[in-house]
Amino acid sequence: MSARRFDPLTLALCLAVVGSAAAAQPAGNWQFGAVLDLAHTTRALALGSRDQGLQLGHSDLSARGPLGTLFKAQLTASVATHDGKLEKGVEEAWLETTRLPAGLQARAGRFASQVGYLNSQHPHADDFVERPLLYRGFFGGHWTDDGLRLNWTAPTPFYLMIGAEAFRGKRLVRETAGAVRNPGIATVVVKTGADLDRSHSWQLGLSHIRSRREAAVEVHEEAEGEEGHGHDDEAGHDHAHGAQFSGRKTWMIDATWKWAPGGNNRDQQLRVGLEAARITGLNRFATARDRHESHAITLVWRFRPQWEAGLRADWLRVRMPHGEHFHSARLREHALMLAWKPSHQQSLRLQVSGQRDAVEFENPARRAVQLQYVLAFGAHGAHAY
Amino acid sequence: MRTRPGRRALAAGVAALVGAVLAGPAAAFTVFACEPEWAALTRILLPTARVHVATHAGQDPHHIEARPSLIAQLRSADLAVCTGASLESGWLPTLQERAGNRRAQDVFFAADHVELIDPQPGAIGTPWTGDVHAEGNPHLHVDPRKLLEVANALAGRLGQEVPGERAGIELRRAAFEARWRRQVSEWERRATPLRGLPVAAQHTTFGYLWHWLGMTQVADLEPRPGMPPTPGHLQRLLEGLRAAPPVAVVIAGFQDPRSGRWLGSQLRGRSGANVPLLVLPPTVSDDAAEPQLVAWVDGLLRELLDAAARRP
Repeated sequence: MSARRFDPLTLALCLAVVGSAAAAQPAGNWQFGAVLDLAHTTRALALGSRDQGLQLGHSDLSARGPLGTLFKAQLTASVATHDGKLEKGVEEAWLETTRLPAGLQARAGRFASQVGYLNSQHPHADDFVERPLLYRGFFGGHWTDDGLRLNWTAPTPFYLMIGAEAFRGKRLVRETAGAVRNPGIATVVVKTGADLDRSHSWQLGLSHIRSRREAAVEVHEEAEGEEGHGHDDEAGHDHAHGAQFSGRKTWMIDATWKWAPGGNNRDQQLRVGLEAARITGLNRFATARDRHESHAITLVWRFRPQWEAGLRADWLRVRMPHGEHFHSARLREHALMLAWKPSHQQSLRLQVSGQRDAVEFENPARRAVQLQYVLAFGAHGAHAY
Repeated sequence: MRTRPGRRALAAGVAALVGAVLAGPAAAFTVFACEPEWAALTRILLPTARVHVATHAGQDPHHIEARPSLIAQLRSADLAVCTGASLESGWLPTLQERAGNRRAQDVFFAADHVELIDPQPGAIGTPWTGDVHAEGNPHLHVDPRKLLEVANALAGRLGQEVPGERAGIELRRAAFEARWRRQVSEWERRATPLRGLPVAAQHTTFGYLWHWLGMTQVADLEPRPGMPPTPGHLQRLLEGLRAAPPVAVVIAGFQDPRSGRWLGSQLRGRSGANVPLLVLPPTVSDDAAEPQLVAWVDGLLRELLDAAARRP
């Protein structure tokens, strides 16, 4: 029920962003964009975000630009079909400083947490039709929340960033076992990276999440697995799905290595990514041995300027809460994709995924074929590493 | 209790890091140059500056990734010097966002100080029109006269940023202008045989060169700006160019030579020889200063004059 209430912070930010965009700034400095993400799925994946058939994926309308000389802001509204319904919501509404001294930066409002490698990216910019099991299981695919962020980029010869975030956490763990003080969830992230030479570059990230939001234990057996979403129907109209599996402490590590001959990544590039997460302190009944774990290894090869092929392997091992005890559950997934990107603004992707070794997950898809088309109009931010 | 020593070690580590960072070398004025040509101008005007160069001649400047190393370079910069006209719009904003460096917010954009060719006022890039630069062609450094205009404007900005060096910057700027103007007249004299000659080229990378030398780009290998050549488009170009073949097919070093080579091999001049493919450097090396800028333009002219002399 509480998820339906529009919190005052977000409302104020939306008004500030929209108001400034409309009145204070000439449109010249503001950029507007829209993204359409359509996908046809032959068979829905367990824990997947896309239903069978032709469905609207994460599509959005966004505006970003400066607010005066000290701030910039972004507003993103998103829509997607889910379980046959059109879900819409404010995905991002934030204000960020641009003029703090000493490499500091603060952000407030609703935004995507910077934990892990993928979370701060919009899903339509991903290399695969579905996010790894790690994100689908632990972050509801893409975790955006209401809160504050403070980042510090060190003046070092290599990249070093240390950041902290504090969130309400309602969009990650929707139903809690009891009353929770704010902030419900806090994160600390360290990222570092550099070039090895002209052709090779790397980035390493370490993220830690502390949560006070202990998830309410599902009592209905059929609520997991096939349904695959921990939120109740009341909250179902908002495009935020919350984590299927959560706990008090989360550790994440992400490593990325990229190779482009001579640094000319336009023509050819190999990208290798590894992400792993472990969650402990699952709930009040959990012992030290009860934990969730997930890994993903990703390999993407741009073999021609417009063509990319990719391979991903995912593992998920979790302890599903059932009242006062837990059931071991696991799932493996492989995905193979081929993408054609005729320009920045368009991509067509064919993906074959298979789920194996499913324990406690109902209806794993032994084979699912997905065809995705992403179309972007106007500006849509610059791409991250 | 067991975590105490660990925490102390962590605190000591953080203190050491902060100390190292605060004591680090911050003396030299540091410039982040998006492209090597702006690094070269910076070195000419302020030789004491520390210069980071984000890209090199072997990369397509439209398609640079916001790599961690570039974030670190922008973080340490006192001034960012870039081309503008949306050339870096796919990566510079991300670097600015990640670097959190307030000094890197007011970028010196070269395109703000010269008149661009081929502006398309009101043009909006759609998914089907390719990379449209409404402001005009951003590859302005290939016209040495525009390069000089940028040098003059950059000298003004550097003088504001480093007031103690203002007199020296002005002296070096004036001396460079005198030498460069002589050089440009010399180049223009040498290049007279090129006037009016047709070339085929990939993208508008050398658009300013044709504009400066009075040459005409009669075909673009790209079907839409920024999109790689397609067989169908090349076939259409071939039909159109057969009657009056260009002196050369010109591409930049970072572009795939296969399409250009194919087109050149299919075209025959009056003598029956094929049209040559010229792979020209789109800019200087990333450690360049004035001699390399001169050598680069010299080299471009030499290649074109050679091709014109051997005109098929």
